[in-house]
Amino acid sequence: MRDAVLVTGLGAVSSLGPDAGALWQRALRGERGAAALDLFDPARHRTDLAAQVTASDWPAPFRRMARADRFGCTATAEATAGIDPALLRTRRCGVFFGSSTGALFEGERFLQQLLQQHEGDLHTIVGLQNDGPGNAVAHAFGVGGPVMTFSTACTSANVAIGAALDALQSGEVDVALAGGADELCEITYAGFNSLRAIDKAPTRPFRRDRQGLLLGEGSGVLLLETAAHAAARGAAAIAELVSAGRSCDAQHVSAPDPTGAGAAAAIRTALREAGLAADDVTFVNAHGTGTPHNDTAEAAALRVVFGERTARLPVTSTKSMVGHLLGAAGGVEAVLTALSIRDRLLPPTAGEQPADPELGLDVVLHGARALPEHNVGLSTNLAFGGNNAVILLRSLR
Amino acid sequence: MNQHSPSHDAIVVTGLGCLGAYGIGGDALAAALLRGEALGAPVDRRAGYHRRNSSTTVATVAASAPDFVPWLSEDAGRRMSDLSQFAVVAARMALQHAGLAADGQLTGDRERTAVTIATAFGPGGFTEQLALQVLQKGGRFASPFLFTDCVANAAAGQIAIAVGARGPNNTICQREAGPLLALHQAVEDLRRGRADVCLCGAVDEMKPLSHAILDRFRAVARPHAEPGDDGELPRPFDLRRRGYRAGEGAAVLVLEREATARARGATILARVGPTVRAHDHSAGRMGTGQQPEALAEHLRERLGDRLDRVDLVVSGASGARAADAYEAALLHAALPHHPWIVAPKAVTGEFGGGTLAAALLALGGAGIAAPRACDRPDPALGVTLHDPQRDGPLRATCAMLTAHAAGGASAITLLERP
Repeated sequence: MRDAVLVTGLGAVSSLGPDAGALWQRALRGERGAAALDLFDPARHRTDLAAQVTASDWPAPFRRMARADRFGCTATAEATAGIDPALLRTRRCGVFFGSSTGALFEGERFLQQLLQQHEGDLHTIVGLQNDGPGNAVAHAFGVGGPVMTFSTACTSANVAIGAALDALQSGEVDVALAGGADELCEITYAGFNSLRAIDKAPTRPFRRDRQGLLLGEGSGVLLLETAAHAAARGAAAIAELVSAGRSCDAQHVSAPDPTGAGAAAAIRTALREAGLAADDVTFVNAHGTGTPHNDTAEAAALRVVFGERTARLPVTSTKSMVGHLLGAAGGVEAVLTALSIRDRLLPPTAGEQPADPELGLDVVLHGARALPEHNVGLSTNLAFGGNNAVILLRSLR
Repeated sequence: MNQHSPSHDAIVVTGLGCLGAYGIGGDALAAALLRGEALGAPVDRRAGYHRRNSSTTVATVAASAPDFVPWLSEDAGRRMSDLSQFAVVAARMALQHAGLAADGQLTGDRERTAVTIATAFGPGGFTEQLALQVLQKGGRFASPFLFTDCVANAAAGQIAIAVGARGPNNTICQREAGPLLALHQAVEDLRRGRADVCLCGAVDEMKPLSHAILDRFRAVARPHAEPGDDGELPRPFDLRRRGYRAGEGAAVLVLEREATARARGATILARVGPTVRAHDHSAGRMGTGQQPEALAEHLRERLGDRLDRVDLVVSGASGARAADAYEAALLHAALPHHPWIVAPKAVTGEFGGGTLAAALLALGGAGIAAPRACDRPDPALGVTLHDPQRDGPLRATCAMLTAHAAGGASAITLLERP
């Protein structure tokens, strides 16, 4: 029988604060990180809201890094605060990261320099490729094992967490740093606006009048260990990472399958690999972007898997508060899912309006919801390319 | 066995599709490898991204004037980036080769077919066009068409749509190590019963902006030639190496469990052995590691006496000064029995999956000439590339593929003749 894989550390950087503690406390209160962005000139764009990271007091070694690299390293530093750094500097520790932008904001500035002056500052774009944040973490923490970056748009971090689970279960590593980091930039901001996918008002996931997403930035990182490794060093665990599931709609490059069949297949894979039944799941931290199509497709997927129980299964969209972190979304949502399991509380989906009754979901609104003593939490992400990836975490046994 | 159960079955390759500066298909690549000449064409410098003394040559797909139509209609292709076109063409070719396609569509179980693609740069051309729209005109001028196909996983997604693959869909971005990491991920998904077939490989496009940036990082060979010497040639392990030649293309393999492949009577091209993954954190963010001996020790721990059976190294050496030295030291430390070594990037250039495809061809008995540009081996490295005229034909049974990414990530995979 495989050794369990435990979450023994958490770290997050988001518009709700520079650490997981701030994120958790503000998320429980349903606070929004949305504000008029100032990272670039919003007047050049259709909308002006974003969930921008505004913290400025970064650990010294990370200050000169590209934003996404800095977010990833800061979140990793928080996640690993309780472990001997020597346990990271071995072949038995790996980095599994997701990113969809890398240092694209810095890349845009570099391109502007190149166009105007025929020269640019190369130091600003060492993290330009999507493997930038994962590489930054591997270097900053001296990791000697596998380093692998997944870039599957909005599912990237969930895919990465699943790969970390594989590496831990196979015995390749004892410790893994898993999650994702992404940064706001003009290209993605303009791109989602070109699809009319960004809400001009604060995003309203699962509401009848939902009109789009809120773009965010940041990082979420899990410190994962085999149970034996955690026990050997006396580490306290927060939750168990049980399984992951992936699938592809194979239908459209940007629109989800409205039947939810692809996302449902990913959820079923995760349940099968965990040896769990659909009835075992006690809550869902949904992708919940707030776009009309996504929320409809996701609700359909949940109904396919959970049947009539969908109407009684607590569902939340933490993107209503931290925004959509794209390749890092799964990382921050995994952190929040683990904290939900630890504290037996599910943060609300921010906003005042009632849930869209046509979705048939039990959306957590107007304050955190108490959860039962033992939980299995499902965190879902859907992405461009028809990509679906989910993870399952549960209470410690 | 329940088809969803984990399996200890060997994973085998049953199909190959590839394209690059050499043309389309395994035969075109084999012919290029047999000639041993570096492929390349003048880089388009009209956008003004390049410095005056920068590299002038790139190994582009367009240089081979390929005809995609048998694999991808013009109508479908014009809705995709070059990257997605390369990927779809290679994937359909691979499925056809494996006997798993009809009219470009999967004939097997679509829900049980996975896609895992590595790309170092993603769709750089579309991203650049979108960036220019946004930066020069404003965000309101952004094209939704460009945006939806400029994510890194667009190619893997387009493959899935084109052939109808609904299983796990992965895109890995780990620079030069990506193709072998993709192979590892595909094997993992097959072994764990998540799929019965996996389309797995690498794709990259090399646009002028990417090329100019690589040149500024001094990754590609520049024309600072000695008299009578073409300094831009990619020269793996050679005394005169100055960097790699940037390339583009795609290589997609069809992977299956051996029992499944044999049951349907498929031709088995190779058996996929383990992949060893590691990171050398002594490397700079864009550089090469300093501890190849430690990686060799790790290889020995992970692979044991399987290393002794390696009789061919399909090296990721590309002509990069430091990375080739790292590779040479690794090979000396890990493989004291001195197997034959080939370096296909001397022909195909860096990126685009050429090495992956070449390894498969080499195991199948294809000849690989000693690259003409590598006739002065660097004595400090002590690596001599296989020369069929001197050493006789390659008759490898176990190939070790190596890849070391800028930044320190390495992946090393064994491929065995069935």
